[in-house]
Amino acid sequence: MPACTFPWACSVKLIGLARHQFVVITLAAIALVSSFWFLLDVLGTANHSRQTFGVAAFENRFNDLPKTVRPHTVYGYLSDTPANDPSGLAEFHLTQYVLAPAIIRPSTHETLVIVNYHSKDLDMKLLSANHLRPYRNIGTGVALCLGDKP
Amino acid sequence: MMLLLWLVAIWLAGFGFIRWMFPQPLRWSLHNVFLFSLGIGAGAGIASCLYFLTLVLSGATFSLLPAAGGVALVIALTLFLFARKGALLDWAEGPAVPRYLTALFVLAAALALIMFLGAVAYNPHGEEGAWSIWNMKARFLLRAGTFWRDAFSSDLGFTRPDYPLLLPGLVALCWKLAGQESTNAPVAIAFLFLLATTGVLVSALGVLRGKILALLAGTLLLGTASFVALSAALYGDVPLSFYILATLALLCLQDRHPEDMRFTGLAGLMAGFAAWTRNEGIIFVLAVLVARAIALIRFGEGKLLARQFLRLLLGLAAPLGVVIFFKLRIGGLGDWMAVPGSTILRHLSEPARWIVLLEGLVVILFNFGRFLIPIFLALGLYWYLVRLRVDTRDRTALATAGIALALTLAVQLVMDILYVDNLGVEIGTAFERILLQLWPGALLVFFLASAPLQLIAPKPLEKGSKEKRAHKGARRVVETR
Repeated sequence: MPACTFPWACSVKLIGLARHQFVVITLAAIALVSSFWFLLDVLGTANHSRQTFGVAAFENRFNDLPKTVRPHTVYGYLSDTPANDPSGLAEFHLTQYVLAPAIIRPSTHETLVIVNYHSKDLDMKLLSANHLRPYRNIGTGVALCLGDKP
Repeated sequence: MMLLLWLVAIWLAGFGFIRWMFPQPLRWSLHNVFLFSLGIGAGAGIASCLYFLTLVLSGATFSLLPAAGGVALVIALTLFLFARKGALLDWAEGPAVPRYLTALFVLAAALALIMFLGAVAYNPHGEEGAWSIWNMKARFLLRAGTFWRDAFSSDLGFTRPDYPLLLPGLVALCWKLAGQESTNAPVAIAFLFLLATTGVLVSALGVLRGKILALLAGTLLLGTASFVALSAALYGDVPLSFYILATLALLCLQDRHPEDMRFTGLAGLMAGFAAWTRNEGIIFVLAVLVARAIALIRFGEGKLLARQFLRLLLGLAAPLGVVIFFKLRIGGLGDWMAVPGSTILRHLSEPARWIVLLEGLVVILFNFGRFLIPIFLALGLYWYLVRLRVDTRDRTALATAGIALALTLAVQLVMDILYVDNLGVEIGTAFERILLQLWPGALLVFFLASAPLQLIAPKPLEKGSKEKRAHKGARRVVETR
């Protein structure tokens, strides 16, 4: 039997088979039941909700655009999402992810600007307010516009 | 399919390298389970570092990469067959293992597998942090060709350009070799790291403390729902937890086999790969060096210090060199360098920040791991009923691991206090992930310090048997005294 480093740790009064069995089964049961509970959550989410916002949905929206995307090119970005809407930032990140290796800047002062809109039609007032001219409408809530940078 | 074959090749190359260091016959054994688990991390780390160096040295026009991969595989397989002498790792002696414990472990593994598959089937690109940081960089490395350094452009600040590249490099390499860009690569890598972490924990504890504690620790790790969920989220935290655990496990084994310094060398390599995985890994490297020095000096093994540090640094040198080059020449040192001293002082002197941190610690103590009952209470109960008993052979290892984990956590908390502006958000989103990075290592420490468990009553000794006579003799001696 190895020597004990810490004497206080060895002053065990209640060591017994049943105690060891109890604590092992308790620990394993907590882990397994928690795991099963979480699994039900995961399966429930997967079954009852369809992803409308995410990489796959965005890749479908931008399906036609990446063919024209070249490395090292820079695009501007404009969205009709309100400034205080947290989904706006996530959509910007998604746009960057989908269009990599092009670089997307959150600005309209670029030669080409990607407009990400959620209304049925492209809002011409939004474009004129930002000095943009329509160049190509992809038709899935994404349009390519000419910016004010020559 | 090609993608998975290339991943298996990387894994086998890693296994070949590890087996060259610790050779034993190829058969189903604890020794080989340990090596197979380490092989995943070693293969991933080596492949990722080589891919990054190839990018730096020859740009993206490396048509020789598949050939180089093939040559590396042949070398690894040659090493795999090369016979050397080395320590044999086998189950530590202990009481019999009840079948229900094995069944509970298998059940935990099955639940974890279903949970992982369910999560990645629903969200194959992983959570936002995964695609917007790790997979984004992988896409740039693969798609941008000669402009691969655009991945670290200041325009992409939200992708954290200073984050090391083990994961993106490995994903991009798999895509490059397989000739297709598929979510299967990051998903398979995440699964392999989950498997490897469990493998290292169970096999290392099996060697150090026996089957019962090994299976219990494995059940607890696989039953940590948020650990499995974090793996399925495709973040870099589980790979980091693997490298932290592997480093600590190898240092523990070093103290059991003091003559074989290869354990320390490999621990250094694994710590280096931890630094190549996430910035927290760099903190861990420093913490483990300090912890090892303290432990060796404290327990009177100071004479081993120079010898062990030499091996540790030899193992660390290559991956740490890659990390330093990356930080200085490509990724930068990170946002924290730009924080002015006045802001740091203001952060330090704000009591509200300390309260937020303490509050976060208390909340996480109850919520950690998504256990239905706080796990600290369950482990407290375990401690009360079983108690701790530290084998004198494990004192140094236990002190090293404990101090390294505590220091890593403490430094990260101090960094949060000093540098993070929105501390509440940081604690809400990242605190549990930081703890989960250390969780497999903490389980190793906890069960290494545990007193042995007896789950099956020992068989009564047969009348007249040698053992019975010896037992009677022993009793007589005790009674006489």
